[in-house]
Amino acid sequence: MTLTTLWLIPLIGGTLVAFLPPRLAKWMGALVAAVALLIAGFVAFNFAPDYHSYQFTEKVAWIPQFSIFYRLGIDGISLWLLILNAFLTLIAVLATPVTNRTAGFVGLMLAMSAGLAGVFMATDLVLFYVFWEAMLIPAYFLLWLHGEGSRPGYAALKFVLYTLAGSLLMLVGVIGEYIVTGHQTFDLAQLAKLAPSPSAQFALFFVFALAFAIKTPLFPFHSWLPDAYNAAPIPMLVTFAGVMGKAGAYGFLRIAVPLFPQPVDWWDWRWVLPVLAVAAIIYGALMALAQSDMKMLVAYSSVSHMGFIVLGIFAFNIQGQQGAVIQMVNHGIIIAALFLIVGWIADRVGTRDRSAMAGLALRMPVMAGVFAVVTFAALGLPGLNSFVGEFMTLLGAWERAPLLAAFGAIGLVLAPVYMLRLFQGAMQGLPAGPVPRSDIYAGQLTVLAPLIALMFAIGLDPNVLTNLMTSIGQTGLYR
Amino acid sequence: MPAGTDLNYSWAQALNDLGQISPIVALVGFFLLAIVTDLVLPRARRGDAVAMVAVVGFAYSMGTAGYRWVYATGDYAYHRFATGDSFALFFEVLFASLGIMTIALSHTYLKRRGLLESEFHILVMAAVIGMMVLASSTSLVTVFLGLELLSISLYIMCGYARTDFRSQEAAAKYLLVGGFASAFVLYGMALIYGGAGTTVIPDIAQRLGASEGMNPLILLGILLMGVGFAFKVSAAPFHMWTPDVYQGAPIPVTAFMSVGTKAAAFAMIVRVFAGGLPHLAPEWQTLLAFVAATSMVVGNLMAITQTSLKRLLAYSGVAQAGYVLIGVVAGGQTGLEAVLYYLFVYMFMNFGAFAVLTLLSRPEADADSFSDLEGLARRNWPLAVGMTVFMLSLAGFPPSVGFFGKLFLFTAGVGAGYTWLVVLAVLMSVVSVFYYVRVLIPVWSPSLRVEGVPASVSSKFAILLSGVASVGLGIYPTTLLLAGQLGASPINLP
Repeated sequence: MTLTTLWLIPLIGGTLVAFLPPRLAKWMGALVAAVALLIAGFVAFNFAPDYHSYQFTEKVAWIPQFSIFYRLGIDGISLWLLILNAFLTLIAVLATPVTNRTAGFVGLMLAMSAGLAGVFMATDLVLFYVFWEAMLIPAYFLLWLHGEGSRPGYAALKFVLYTLAGSLLMLVGVIGEYIVTGHQTFDLAQLAKLAPSPSAQFALFFVFALAFAIKTPLFPFHSWLPDAYNAAPIPMLVTFAGVMGKAGAYGFLRIAVPLFPQPVDWWDWRWVLPVLAVAAIIYGALMALAQSDMKMLVAYSSVSHMGFIVLGIFAFNIQGQQGAVIQMVNHGIIIAALFLIVGWIADRVGTRDRSAMAGLALRMPVMAGVFAVVTFAALGLPGLNSFVGEFMTLLGAWERAPLLAAFGAIGLVLAPVYMLRLFQGAMQGLPAGPVPRSDIYAGQLTVLAPLIALMFAIGLDPNVLTNLMTSIGQTGLYR
Repeated sequence: MPAGTDLNYSWAQALNDLGQISPIVALVGFFLLAIVTDLVLPRARRGDAVAMVAVVGFAYSMGTAGYRWVYATGDYAYHRFATGDSFALFFEVLFASLGIMTIALSHTYLKRRGLLESEFHILVMAAVIGMMVLASSTSLVTVFLGLELLSISLYIMCGYARTDFRSQEAAAKYLLVGGFASAFVLYGMALIYGGAGTTVIPDIAQRLGASEGMNPLILLGILLMGVGFAFKVSAAPFHMWTPDVYQGAPIPVTAFMSVGTKAAAFAMIVRVFAGGLPHLAPEWQTLLAFVAATSMVVGNLMAITQTSLKRLLAYSGVAQAGYVLIGVVAGGQTGLEAVLYYLFVYMFMNFGAFAVLTLLSRPEADADSFSDLEGLARRNWPLAVGMTVFMLSLAGFPPSVGFFGKLFLFTAGVGAGYTWLVVLAVLMSVVSVFYYVRVLIPVWSPSLRVEGVPASVSSKFAILLSGVASVGLGIYPTTLLLAGQLGASPINLP
C-alpha cells in the first residue's frame, strides 16, 4: 500500500485543495506534497540495494480477462525519479504565488504529480500507459488555464496533440507486444524475458521510442517544447521541465531498452537513437546560443541536457545508464532552479529579454550569488552535480563508440558559452536598463536553498545515488 | 421436425416462450398501461403519471432481464424466431437503462419547451421495445419487425417539436432515408432467404457453407444488408442523414437515438452477420472493414469544422461507429465482448454529453452552439466537470471508459490481424482530441455570463449516473467486461 499512497494522496489531496481559498490552498497543497515526499523518503530508507527485483511490490487483479494487473514496484532507477518528483512538486507548490486562481493551479499540479508518480511506479505495461496518458489531462489544463503569453490555448493543444500522436501509437505497441509475446502478461519484468523476433522488436521499438522521444523531447520531435515552455507559468515548469521530460527518458530505460534488446530489421535502432541524442545535444546548445529570451534559452538548454541522458541510456553499459539516471535527477534539480531564478529576475525587471538588462548584480547581489552557483552547476563544473552525470554518460558513450562521445562533448563546450553569456550579460558590467524592484525575497531563497544544497551534495558524493542504483527490477539493463 | 410444422403448441411451450422474451413482454405490458393511464387521467396530471409508469416499466423489465441473466437458461422461443440468450439479455439491460435515463432527462425539457409529455414517454417505450426485439430476434422476419418498430417510433419523435421547422425537416429526412435503408435491408434479406431457403438465422448458418462465397445472390444480399445496417449505425459513407437529423431533433431524442439506435443496429449486425453468415466472414468483414475505415476518417475530419455542437457530436458518433466496427470485423469472442463493452459505456458518455446540452436548452431553442457553453464552470461547476468527463472519455483518455473500450476493441483488432485498421483508428483518435477539447474551451474559459443552469432532480440523476459510470466502469471494468464476455456467447453463434 505504500506505493499506492504515493499517487493517491496527491490526487485526492489535489482534488480537495482545488476547493479551498487561495492562501490556504497553497499551504494545504504544500502539506500534501510534503506528506508525499515523506513517504518517498520512507521508501528510500527502507530500500534494499542488493535486492535484484522490484521492491515494495503491489499486485491486484484488475482486468484478468486480458491479464492486466494493477502492479506497482520500484527499483534503483525509479526510486530516484519518484523522490525527484515528490521533491520538485513540493518546491513548485511553495514557489506558487498566491492569486485568486491559486487553488485550481495547486490542485492540478498535485494531480499531474500523481500521474508522474504512477508512471515511475507502474510495472504493468497497461497501468504504465494509463498513468502516462492520464497525466496529460492536468498538464493540458495547467498550460491552457494558467499559461502566460498571448495564446496558451494553442500551446497547450499543440503539446497534447503532439504527445498523443506518439502515445496513441504506443498503445498499438502495447497491444502488439501483448500479442506477439503470446497473450500472457503485461508484467514488465516478465516481458523483458520474452523478447519477440527481431523484426517484431524493430516495429515495436519504433512506436515506443517515438512516444518517448516526443515526450523527452528528442531532436526532431521537440517542436512542441518552445511553445509549451513559453506558455507554462514558472512554478509549473519546475515539475513540467524537471520531471515530465524525465518520464520520456525513463520510458526508454524501463521499456524500450529491456523489452526490445535487438530491434534490428531494416536498420539497427540501437544506433539511430544515440545519433539523435548527439544531434539533440548540439542542436539544443546552438539554439540556446541564439536566444535572447532568458526563458527560452533555459528551455533549449534543457533540450541539450536531455540529449546527454538519452545518449547515456543508449550507451548500453552500466556507466552510461547509471550516468543517465544521475543526470535525470541532476537536470531536474538544475532546470527547476534555473527556471525559478529566471522567472524571478524577469518578474523584477519586467522583461525576459536578456539584452535589455545589465549589471543587475549590483542591485540584487544575493540573486546574483545564487544565480552564479546554479549557472556553474548547469555548465557542468566539477564539484557540482551535473559534472558527474555528464561525465558518466560520456564515458559510457565512449565505450560504445568514441565518435559519439566526441560529438557529445561539443555540448559540454557550448554549455559554458550560453550559460555564462546569460549570467554575465544580465548580472555583470555597469548597471543599465530597467531597475529591479528588489533583491530576492527571503521566502524565495528558502525555496531555492534545498535545490542548491542538493547541487553540492550530489556533486561531492554521487555515490549516495549510485549505491542504491544497483537494484534493478528487470533483466536487460546495465549490460 | 422443421420449424413451423409443430401443431401441438402446448401451454408449457407457450409459457416457456413467453419466459424467454419476458423482459419485452413486461415492457409491452407497461406500455399498454401507460396508454391507458394517458387516456383516463386528467390532462394536468398525465405527464408525470405516464413518466412514472414508464420508469417503473423499464426498471421492471431490467429486473426481469437481470433475474433471467442469473437464474434462467437462454433458449430459442417461437420456433427459433426469438431467443432469451445472454446476448439478448445484455442489450435488454442496456436499453432499459437508456429508457430510464431518457425519461429522467426529457421530463423537465418537455415542460420547458412546452411539448406534450405523455405521448413522448409512450413513444420512448415503443422504441425501446423495438430495440429489445431487435436484440433478441433470431429470424430475419423478427429482425425486420424490431427494426421497423424502432424506426417508426423515432420518426415521430424526431418531429416532436411540431412548431420547430428544423425538427420537422429532421423527421422528414429521417423518414425518407430510414425508409430507404429499411428497403435495402429487406431486399438483402429477401436475397439471403432466396439463397438459404429459410429466414431463421441459425438455420441459415447451417445451410450456407463457405462455398456460397461465389453465389451472387448471397453476395448481393450481404452487400444490400450491409448498406442498410451502415445507414442504421450511421457509418460513413451512409452517414449523410446523421448530422441533419441529430441537429433538428429535440435534444433528448438525439441523445436517445444516438446511443439506442446505434446499439440496436450493432446487435442486429452481430446477430445477422456473425450469427447467420459465419462461413462468409471474409466477404462481410471486408465490407465492414471498409465502412469502419471511412467512418473513422470522415467522422473525425468532418467534426473538426463544425460550429454546431449537435452536428459535432453527430460526426463524433459516425467516428465512434467506426471504432465499434473494428470489434465486429475482428469478430470472435474477444471482438464481440469488446463491442458489447463499448456499446454499454458509450451509452453513458454520449448520453451524458447530450444531457448537459439538454439542461442548457432555453424555452425557445435547444443549446447548440459553442457560446451556449460559455462560462459553464462558473455557472454550474458539476455540469462543467461532467462535460469534461464525457468529452475526455469520448476522446479516449484513461482512466475513463472511452480508453478501456478502445483498448479492448484495438486488442481484438490487432489480434485478428487488422493492424492497419487499428493504426488508422489511433491516428484518427488524435484528430478527435482536437474537437473534443474544443468543446471544453468555452466551458472553462473565463466568461462574464453568470446566469445559473436550472436542473431538476431527475436530470441531475441522469447526468450523475452517466458521469460516475464513465469513470467508474473504467477504473473497474472487470465486471462489465465479464458480462460482455457472457453476452458475447449467444447460443446460436458458432
